[in-house]
Amino acid sequence: MSDDYPSLLRSEQMSLVQLFVPTEVAHDTVAELGELGNVQFKDLNPNVNPFQRSFVGEIRRVDEMGRRVRFFSTQIEQEKDVVPIRPLYDSAPLIAVGPRAPQAMDELDVTLAAHEQRLTQMNETYQKLSERTKELIEARHVLRETAVFFDKAQDHQTDIRTSFDDSSAPLLQHDDRENQYSLGTSVQFDLEFVAGTIERVRVPTFERVLWRVLRGNLYMNHTDIVEPFVDPVTGAETRKNVFIIFAHGDALLAKIRKVAESMGATLYPIDANADKRSESLREVEGRLEDLQNVLYNTGSSRRTELTKIGESLRSWQDVVRKEKLIYETLNLFNFDVRRKTLIAEGWVPTRDITTIQLALRHATEESGTSVPPILHELRTQKTPPTFNRTNKFTEGFQTIMDSYGVASYQEVNPGLFAVITFPFLFAVMFGDIGHGFIIFVAALYMILAERKLARVDLGEIMGQFFYGRYIILLMGLFSMYTGLMYNDIFSKSLHIWHSAWDFPSNTTDTKLVGIDNGHRYSFGLDPGWHGADNNLVFVNSYKMKMSVVLGVIHMTFALCLQFPNHLKFKRPIDIYANFIPQMIFLQSIFGYLVICILYKWSVDWSNATTQPPSLLNMLISMFLSPGKVDPSEQLYAGQPFVQVVLLLLAAICVPWLLITKPYLAWKDMHKIKEQGYVSISGEGDGNGIHRNSSDEVLEGEEEGNGRDIAEDGDDGEHEQHDFGEVVIHQVIHTIEFCLGCISHTASYLRLWALSLAHAQLSEVLWSMTLEAWLEPNGVFDWIVLIVMGVFWFVLTVFILCLMEGLSAFLHALRLHWVEANSKHFEGGGYAFTPLTFANPDSKE
Amino acid sequence: MEALLFNVDGGFLEGTVRGYKAGILTQSHYANLTQCESLEDFRTQLSATDYGNFLANEPLPISTATIADKATQILVDQFKYLRNNAVEPLSKFLDYITYAYMIDNVILLITGTLHERDTHELIERCHPLGVFESMPALCVASNVEELFQSVLVETPLAPYFRDCLSASDLDDLNIEIIRNTVYKAYLEDFYAYCGSLGGPTADVMQRILSFEADRRTVNITINSFNTELSKDERARLFPAIGRLFPEGNNQLAKADEIDQVRSVCENVGEYRQFFADAGSSSNGPNDEDSGILSQLEDRFFQTEVHLNKMAFLQQFQYGVFYAYMKLKEQEIRNITWIAECIAQSAKDRIQDFIPIF
Repeated sequence: MSDDYPSLLRSEQMSLVQLFVPTEVAHDTVAELGELGNVQFKDLNPNVNPFQRSFVGEIRRVDEMGRRVRFFSTQIEQEKDVVPIRPLYDSAPLIAVGPRAPQAMDELDVTLAAHEQRLTQMNETYQKLSERTKELIEARHVLRETAVFFDKAQDHQTDIRTSFDDSSAPLLQHDDRENQYSLGTSVQFDLEFVAGTIERVRVPTFERVLWRVLRGNLYMNHTDIVEPFVDPVTGAETRKNVFIIFAHGDALLAKIRKVAESMGATLYPIDANADKRSESLREVEGRLEDLQNVLYNTGSSRRTELTKIGESLRSWQDVVRKEKLIYETLNLFNFDVRRKTLIAEGWVPTRDITTIQLALRHATEESGTSVPPILHELRTQKTPPTFNRTNKFTEGFQTIMDSYGVASYQEVNPGLFAVITFPFLFAVMFGDIGHGFIIFVAALYMILAERKLARVDLGEIMGQFFYGRYIILLMGLFSMYTGLMYNDIFSKSLHIWHSAWDFPSNTTDTKLVGIDNGHRYSFGLDPGWHGADNNLVFVNSYKMKMSVVLGVIHMTFALCLQFPNHLKFKRPIDIYANFIPQMIFLQSIFGYLVICILYKWSVDWSNATTQPPSLLNMLISMFLSPGKVDPSEQLYAGQPFVQVVLLLLAAICVPWLLITKPYLAWKDMHKIKEQGYVSISGEGDGNGIHRNSSDEVLEGEEEGNGRDIAEDGDDGEHEQHDFGEVVIHQVIHTIEFCLGCISHTASYLRLWALSLAHAQLSEVLWSMTLEAWLEPNGVFDWIVLIVMGVFWFVLTVFILCLMEGLSAFLHALRLHWVEANSKHFEGGGYAFTPLTFANPDSKE
Repeated sequence: MEALLFNVDGGFLEGTVRGYKAGILTQSHYANLTQCESLEDFRTQLSATDYGNFLANEPLPISTATIADKATQILVDQFKYLRNNAVEPLSKFLDYITYAYMIDNVILLITGTLHERDTHELIERCHPLGVFESMPALCVASNVEELFQSVLVETPLAPYFRDCLSASDLDDLNIEIIRNTVYKAYLEDFYAYCGSLGGPTADVMQRILSFEADRRTVNITINSFNTELSKDERARLFPAIGRLFPEGNNQLAKADEIDQVRSVCENVGEYRQFFADAGSSSNGPNDEDSGILSQLEDRFFQTEVHLNKMAFLQQFQYGVFYAYMKLKEQEIRNITWIAECIAQSAKDRIQDFIPIF
């Protein structure tokens, strides 16, 4: 079955392989396979606790290294000035495979540990120094603020004194002199005080508590320190206040100190004497200067260290990530009896087995041993994972389909057809040459600048557009095509060929009627319709019918995709119990409608004897009054008979669909029972594979590894289908299909609705902004024209291209997921998730 | 009625807390944890649970205290998230939960100051949920009056302390009396508040709080045997709620030995098993008592866990928040216990935790 070229039609053929890897090359083998990225390893010890697995020690070591690397990167991030980090593609690769790998890892471990130790040490000194600096700065603030406070207090005191003196000058001369004397020494404060700093948020509480504790016997003053204190480790800012509290008595002061300390305040010894204060201020400032010098030096050497780390940080991160993945993978492996080789099992694409074998050989050569790992293909009944090989073009389309559900193994993959149908259905709704061109150019830019953009982190929204650039490209291209069909360019129409309609210019009538001039517009909508009164009526009817036609074609196509599935999985029953009745049902009602639409278009009703019939009424009366057609509305001769036949066909299909499959299942069951067999494992065609797997068991036992393969044979997926289950499933399926046919056909009318809305919106935008200013005379008109032109263009891009585009995208998505996929898609698979190093999301 | 309107304000938070609850360790997690050989294993094992990588950035070797701290920190963060998103009356309800921690912190600080411990060390040991801003100032007070006037008067705990202002000096016995009086007042207040919320909250919470009250009553009774505490004073410490109240409380107030406590408890169906088959295996009378007591303690915890688990069976009520906090606390105790057993390689006692789910 394996074709020569990979195709998107079916998922890759997968094989379950067993790898026997000698312990000494295990690491390098997994590293090589991880670089290759196409093996999905199975967990062979699901019952073992994560910490009881073989390579826990190594994982722990890598974890520890990871922690160190994380520590470095947070340190670098926290550094205020940006420390350059050399990107991964610029750094020299660290060799973590080959015979020198363990040594390299040891070296890396030592380097990391050394760096960490140095860094922590520097951090500690830095922190200690900053702590001391902070204290000194606080002390300086306290000294300054208290000085201000004392000065003020002195002024007040002298004020009081002088005023007192004025009133009774002669009597108190002695007093005055004494006062002056004491002013000179400036020790007239008999109140004792406590000064210090406290965090600003705590000031109110502090004040309240002190007030209550001292019962109001205190005088407290505090001022803000303007600049914030920055914590050197966390970078958090704290704001503090200087406070000074006066109280009387040792007991009270002791209490104040205790409260202050427990509230996290720092107290500083301040002398009441001004001279001593200024002296200590000088001293503090001197020490502060020294400290700041040291601090600067420490900071710069820390920065050098960080810069050095930054140079190789990315490659360390990379190595640590890979090593962790490798050991986690190794933990999935099984040891053989002699513990010399590791046994791995995993899914690989059959096509890639040779590549993998080459990789294995390469790994062996790299590691310098002569014992190569042995790859060995197993036969199994387990369902392999679904793997669709995509390239950068098909990836986006495949993702759209995969996000609905992962296709079953080797099922016909709707992602292939979505490459064309998706942009086409989108374009039917988005048809406009101009808008299509805008998004086409945008996508083309993204594709041309692909290499550059892929490296940059574009952010979530832009990243998604970038991811879907090829989808957008095709959407733009198809929109231009449908725009040509609708003859719409920014809501105007192109006039390329000769129109079929002439409008008489010399009549006085207010209503102009087009005259058929015998020409036929060769492609797309005749521009003569543009601006006509009955334009909307015509376009409506045309687009509505077109969307029904497209819808029925799309659904029929989707239904046909069942057929290769049934062939591939050898389910002939499903062909004549599901596919054929469904097809007849769909075609006899909606296929007939499509034919009628096409027929009605092809008839020249102006020369016909009958009125053009309403097809909707025709379809309704086909159900309500079968066999009767009003002759005045007859589409063609013999219509009643044809319709009765079609209706009967559709009616027969329902019980056919409902009963056949359960009946066959029931008969099958009876046959087995009558033959007296008791089912042990599978039934029917499972036998062939069974024989194979028992051969495999024998083969395996000969090789002394019977256990693993025997397990495989046992826990294969035999689903014992219950008869009741089949019945219920079929009933649901029938109802869903029959009702679905009607509602889904109606659902395709969204093509009409959206394309109409798009055309109307762009027309409204045109007439509201640009149209009135198109014939400028005078400077003012030109300015308005330019402003309006920009305005119109911006709105065109944002509303018509982005918003409308998004809505058309979503509707196209729905048409694929619901209307088309429900016709054939099983979606019971699970995705192939190979071990790969290339996934940057798993970066820590 | 609450089914109609509860979700307007409480739906999101109830959903959140039920989500948190789904992360509580199960029996199989514990089975794995108890098999660990070292604390590094323990860390690896915990990282597979909802705790995630909470220890990933801790340098080796890890201490048990770090594990407990970090686990508590997770709980505190979760609680704060709930509290910040809550509106009345749930916010008030959540505040009530913190009052219990505040009481513990106050008592811790007073006791610590009495024994002249370092204030900062004491503050570090306080439970983060019970921290209030004027708390550090507690160390200054030397008697209850001062304590109340200087610090507690502005906290929500003030009404609870009002009853114990009579006790003048601070000594160990008095502190114990204060603790129990305050706690009694708190429980009664919380009980009344839950009653005022009405509906299923009242049902669930009053069931849990009744048990809490009874547990305190029994504990106070047993602990006050052979102490200076007079029977009158003892009776005053009993919460006036619970299933033992009033006649059980009256009898307990007069009890002199464990047998009397047992006969009182046997009047309540659910409490009968607390003393069942106790002491049959031990020999001396002293051994017997301590055996009964430790067993009693375990059974209390088991019953508490059971009641809290029951709280999750009912929707549209606030009991889940309280229950979650209590269950998580129990879980942290369990983790710490297991970690401690691993660290001290006391494997034989590692099973002595109380499984939750």
